[in-house]
Amino acid sequence: MTQVNEFPVSQNADKVLDHFTLFRQPEYQEMFKRKKDDFEFGHSDEKVAEVSEWTKSEDYKAKNFAREAVVINPTKACQPIGAMFAAQGFEGTLPFVHGSQGCVAYYRTHLTRHFKEPNSAVSSSMTEDAAVFGGLNNMIDGLANAYALYKPKMIAVLTTCMAEVIGDDLQGFIANAKKKDSVPEDFPVPFAHTPAFVGSHIVGYDNMMKGILTNFWGKSEDLDTPKTEKINLIGGFDGYAVGNNRELKRIFGLMGIDATILSDVSDVFDTPGDGEYRMYDGGTTIEETKAALHAKATISLQEYNTPQTLQFCKEKGQEVAKFNYPLGVAATDELLLKLAEITGKAIPASLKLERGRLVDAIADSHTHIHGKRFAVFGDPDFCLGMTRFLLELGAEPVHILSTSGSKKWEKQVQKVLDGSQFGKGGAAYGGKDLWHLRSLLFTNKVDYIIGNSYGKYLERDTKIPLIRLTYPIFDRHHHHRYPVWGYQGALNVLVRILDRIFEDMDANTSVVGVTDISFDLVR
Amino acid sequence: MLADKIQEVFNEPGCGVNQAKTTKERKKGCSKPLKPGAAAGGCAYDGAMIALQPIADVAHLVHGPIACLGNSWDNRGTRSSGSQLYRTGFTTDLSELDIVHGGEKKLYKAIKEIVQQHNPPAVFVYQTCVPAMIGDDIEAVCKYAAKKLGVPVIPVNAPGFVGSKNLGNKLAGETLLDHVIGTREPEVSTPNDVCIIGEYNLAGELWLAKPLMDEIGIRIQSCISGDGRYNEIAAAHRARVTMVVCSQALINVGRKMEERWGIPYFEGSFYGVTDMSDTLRTMATMLVQRGADPAMLNRAEAVIAREEAAVSKRLERYKPRFTGKRVLLFTGGVKSWSMVTALEEAGLTIVGSSTKKSTKEDKEKLKKRKGEEFHMWDDLKPKEMYRMLRDSEADIMLSGGRSQFISLKAKVPWLDVNQERHHAYAGYDGIVNLCEEIDKTLSNPIWRQVRLPAPWE
Repeated sequence: MTQVNEFPVSQNADKVLDHFTLFRQPEYQEMFKRKKDDFEFGHSDEKVAEVSEWTKSEDYKAKNFAREAVVINPTKACQPIGAMFAAQGFEGTLPFVHGSQGCVAYYRTHLTRHFKEPNSAVSSSMTEDAAVFGGLNNMIDGLANAYALYKPKMIAVLTTCMAEVIGDDLQGFIANAKKKDSVPEDFPVPFAHTPAFVGSHIVGYDNMMKGILTNFWGKSEDLDTPKTEKINLIGGFDGYAVGNNRELKRIFGLMGIDATILSDVSDVFDTPGDGEYRMYDGGTTIEETKAALHAKATISLQEYNTPQTLQFCKEKGQEVAKFNYPLGVAATDELLLKLAEITGKAIPASLKLERGRLVDAIADSHTHIHGKRFAVFGDPDFCLGMTRFLLELGAEPVHILSTSGSKKWEKQVQKVLDGSQFGKGGAAYGGKDLWHLRSLLFTNKVDYIIGNSYGKYLERDTKIPLIRLTYPIFDRHHHHRYPVWGYQGALNVLVRILDRIFEDMDANTSVVGVTDISFDLVR
Repeated sequence: MLADKIQEVFNEPGCGVNQAKTTKERKKGCSKPLKPGAAAGGCAYDGAMIALQPIADVAHLVHGPIACLGNSWDNRGTRSSGSQLYRTGFTTDLSELDIVHGGEKKLYKAIKEIVQQHNPPAVFVYQTCVPAMIGDDIEAVCKYAAKKLGVPVIPVNAPGFVGSKNLGNKLAGETLLDHVIGTREPEVSTPNDVCIIGEYNLAGELWLAKPLMDEIGIRIQSCISGDGRYNEIAAAHRARVTMVVCSQALINVGRKMEERWGIPYFEGSFYGVTDMSDTLRTMATMLVQRGADPAMLNRAEAVIAREEAAVSKRLERYKPRFTGKRVLLFTGGVKSWSMVTALEEAGLTIVGSSTKKSTKEDKEKLKKRKGEEFHMWDDLKPKEMYRMLRDSEADIMLSGGRSQFISLKAKVPWLDVNQERHHAYAGYDGIVNLCEEIDKTLSNPIWRQVRLPAPWE
């Protein structure tokens, strides 16, 4: 038996190192270096550093913005995930994705990682044969299986690009499937065509919402029924829906408003750990959805998530109003005033107090935010709402970027910026991606980035702190359980921003004898 | 032709499942027809991406609408000791107009932009459903782009609709065989070189095994594809021995490398003490048979003896705490068999395991060892899983993220052993890591809280 030396491993019988420390140990650093020297044969470190520096330059930015074909690190997802989200907010609803199956696994994982909840959806699992012959049989068998296996109250059908390319006719297919007794004749199967090569997840949300309402509001004789005092509210694709919808319901309660949130995912994406597995939970009931036709108004909190749906509501004789992700004092004011105007209910003293407290909180802390420069990325409405709130705080939104933002959106953001002296240096970038933003951040520095978890790479490359405030958030837990809408929500956002600013201050003043002159106990 | 490729993969003689089939069964191919309307796993593109994305220094460009990349970029914790380019999401983001006019021109342009901006050693282009259906010929575009731009451009032709994730893994392997492996000669070649296939360095697992190999004198010449580099995989054909880790996914690569370059392969695993020792031993033995210094065998035995002693000392701590604790194991492929062995070594009782991706041999092995009482599922429905957990047939479930919440809702402690895990469970250290995590999970006070009724009930 050969004697081996005690190999210098950092792990030993009593100590388990986690990956943060283990791979930084000298023997690992040595191992990595050997790999680099013996296998990589890359460019010299100097050359790499030089090119890395160049990617931060104006020259690189010009080349980067000249990109026509490749999209790098997009801040958007596809129509079906938005449609799935919209469908899951209705009671007992199973989204049924007609097309190839891998897509569904992706959507479920994506939503699960953000909400930390199971996510139920099925696929018609079309394969190559179906691509040639059409997916009718997949629809017939699929609906039957889904209905038998998961016992939903409603199945909402949407499509992947594959089914769209071959042009499957959902309406005909569903009618056929009902003829074949896949599901009972009167069982609701609303549908929406959601090709991923058109628009993004926010368009998918709109399509599905309209599809579901069309399904339940379809009969023209219903239109003669007089309008009730109820109102409808649509939140749009919102990563904070759990906290936000509950906050909205609290506000309705305080104002005494009878409102229906169309697609309310707050329960299904936040089920309790009490030993009961709820595949479906809460959500807008079918009765509420039917009755929503007779509401006097429909309010959308995300304009870009609902253009077709609002148009449809208008055609049904409803008053419509739209907001852009209402964040902050003024945006909440506008929402409450609108609610009061439509319903004739007064804004109660308790909400006025909440407003006062929020204003007080901002006044207490504004000096720390005043003049700080921000980049914001995410969905179009979120960017608008966030930009407004930043301006309200005296911060300066500099780069506002949304991969699903349109020219119209750019103009709208510009208008918001133009309305404040703090918006002077700001610009909106629609249809651009996070690699563009990287160039912007290097050539025109800001103090903070507001976005989602995908902003991590920007934070790492530019050393600009990231504040996570929109979907998806994969690497922090439970933020979505707190509202960001309403006065209460604005307070949460304020605290998140301030926390990051203070953490940053402490980090920058913590070297003993060097920078700790400003290491203050009171900030 | 893709169809021929798929037939070829289905007829893989190296595959244990295939060997056990009759000729008639073999004709049908391996894809079980998917059940429409049931919950489903990933697609072929997903499988191809998972198998190749760990190649760290290449640009992975997804040719298709936003869907395929938009919902999936950087979604796997595979680690790289060098370039991080593999974590950047590149896509052609096809729009309706592109679908009407065809996406080939846009694809070429995208490849060009990537080469200009990032200059990677290679670009991998992934085909997806839509461009495949409208007839975009990515192989032609890649060939043209490679010639024009002077960089290898590799077409990964596994559009989602051709089948399952597992098929995608295999097609990814075929892509490497067709376009990458054997395209360059290594600068240095030694008689101790091995190539590891089907190890993805999740949470850095490969790095728990590598120091021991270094010590024995085994040189990992290439790994497909954990912490991989394009150039080392291109020279993988100069390895002396290959080890196939995830045989269900990439056995075809191991077998064909033997066919083409005469490199013998074996199927091994880094999970569990026994398997880990067997792997090191087999590797050393095979290398020595092919001309490595016989002293390697002694070194291997010495390292194994030392590590086994250390690990059993380290596992002692857990044994009293694990006695009588029952585990439900719900993972894919190779892990189910090796983990069962590994966990039993630590004193846990395994009440059941999924065998969805396990070979017939694996299942036989399990049956023989565990007897008829032992649960094995090819496909456990969420409801059934929930019922089992509710009825307290297990104290902890080890599974992947998608079934995590079923366990949590059933008040049963849960631990991630799939691709989203943050801890490395491979090798001797890995088993200790795993036991440590199981121990934490089992002993956390919240589980008592969860299981007790509320005070007012």
